[in-house]
Amino acid sequence: MKILVFEDEKAINLYPLTYLRPTWELLCGAGTLLDKVKRHFPNNEIHFWCRPEMAPVLNRKYGKPVNDVKNLLGKESVMLLNGRWLMGPGEFLPTKAEEQGVCGDTLLYGHLAAEKIEPRDDLASLLKKASSLPKKETKGRLINNLWEPVKYNAEAIKEDFGLMGKKGVLGAMAPESTIYGPEDNVYVAPGAEIHPMVVLDTKGGPVIIAEGVKVFPFTRVEGPAYIGPNCQLVGGKIREGCSFGPECRIGGEVEESIVQGYSNKYHDGFLGHAHVGEWVNLGALTTNSDLKNDYSTVSLKIRGTMHDTGEMKVGSFIGDHTKTSIGTLMNTGTIIGIMCNVLGVGALLPKDLPSFAWFIEGNVMKGFGLQSQLKTARAAMARRKKELLPEEEALIGQVFEMTKEARLEAVRKSRG
Amino acid sequence: MGDIAERVKAVVARQLKVSLDKVKDESDFVKDLGAESIQSLELVAAFEEEFNIEMDEEAALQVKNVKDAVAFISKIVEK
Repeated sequence: MKILVFEDEKAINLYPLTYLRPTWELLCGAGTLLDKVKRHFPNNEIHFWCRPEMAPVLNRKYGKPVNDVKNLLGKESVMLLNGRWLMGPGEFLPTKAEEQGVCGDTLLYGHLAAEKIEPRDDLASLLKKASSLPKKETKGRLINNLWEPVKYNAEAIKEDFGLMGKKGVLGAMAPESTIYGPEDNVYVAPGAEIHPMVVLDTKGGPVIIAEGVKVFPFTRVEGPAYIGPNCQLVGGKIREGCSFGPECRIGGEVEESIVQGYSNKYHDGFLGHAHVGEWVNLGALTTNSDLKNDYSTVSLKIRGTMHDTGEMKVGSFIGDHTKTSIGTLMNTGTIIGIMCNVLGVGALLPKDLPSFAWFIEGNVMKGFGLQSQLKTARAAMARRKKELLPEEEALIGQVFEMTKEARLEAVRKSRG
Repeated sequence: MGDIAERVKAVVARQLKVSLDKVKDESDFVKDLGAESIQSLELVAAFEEEFNIEMDEEAALQVKNVKDAVAFISKIVEK
């Protein structure tokens, strides 16, 4: 059986986090949604079908073609899997072909027999074929909304810890540091360093420290928590429900938040119930609210319309390559696009700041344009010995055009 | 053009907080008038508001002095 992980039309509901990545690369728990698919199907060929504008980036990154039916032709059946599915332990998937699993009106999986796959197929025709298969109502966690990876994160970390089969301290842990709670509720990978005066609090859930992580003195990490490869925790309170992707620098106070990777929140300031992209830099004292003073549910402004999340605690959503200045303050449920430049100076940000916009002294501005932002991105990535690929630049350029009208509208509105 | 030049100079003086008589045709926004990078952005925004125009971000970034700004804005206004 081959696997085809696909993006459906709801991928755009997860903007700005999915402007530059497919849905299955969202971090939740101790890995991405795709990591959980790979865990479930360790011996199967996995292929992908994404939004057309993203295909060149993934072709390059994965080193094999995406959005190509030729990958699927042959004698093996094909399991279509929704790329927004957060697969947990014990998910049922049929091994016999000819069944679709739905969650409400959304296809979670469709298992097509090999002879059903034709050279002229595209994603739409494959999904149509899947939709005609016998239907099975399935309880699966689909990421339908921007705030849901954070909502499921603590639970997903616990599940991932249970399934990874690794426990104990294999890295270097200074004797002046403490595991406070069950000692078998921790994994410190080989090559990780826990400095003196660090507390790993495992009472509420597991603490997973990946390889190459450095945890500096006066850091308290409260489980469930996942600290990804080569991260540095530079002092502060990492409270329950946090997941950090590779090479983040995190300090201050962080609670129930996800940082995709390669981002800095080095200094003091509070980040709660937030989901942050890659290559983001949050200046000192950048803080978001995640709870309204009247304890009512938080609404998000998505594509100009307010949506009630139904959740009491929702923080901020920050797109890739965005930078905030010292003292930036974000209101409850703020969405900031990709490549924004925020100079907060005390004024609360608008609830949504379109991609590439600048926010200066309470005013939204167009900024210096695409090339200037690309130059900054190249410089930031070079510091971590990474390269901005031409395919990624092209995708960013498309997002720049796609978000132009929203940006200009925000500028006009800001001028009154 | 004359009117545009006067209005450009007035915007520059107001935005960069310098006296109008210091704003000459050849004045460089950064070297002569002390504009910081953020003020350059604010200047573009102020020109757009004053003349009710849209200035392309990257093209506007190439405008370094008052004379160039007048020429740049005149072209857009004449369209």
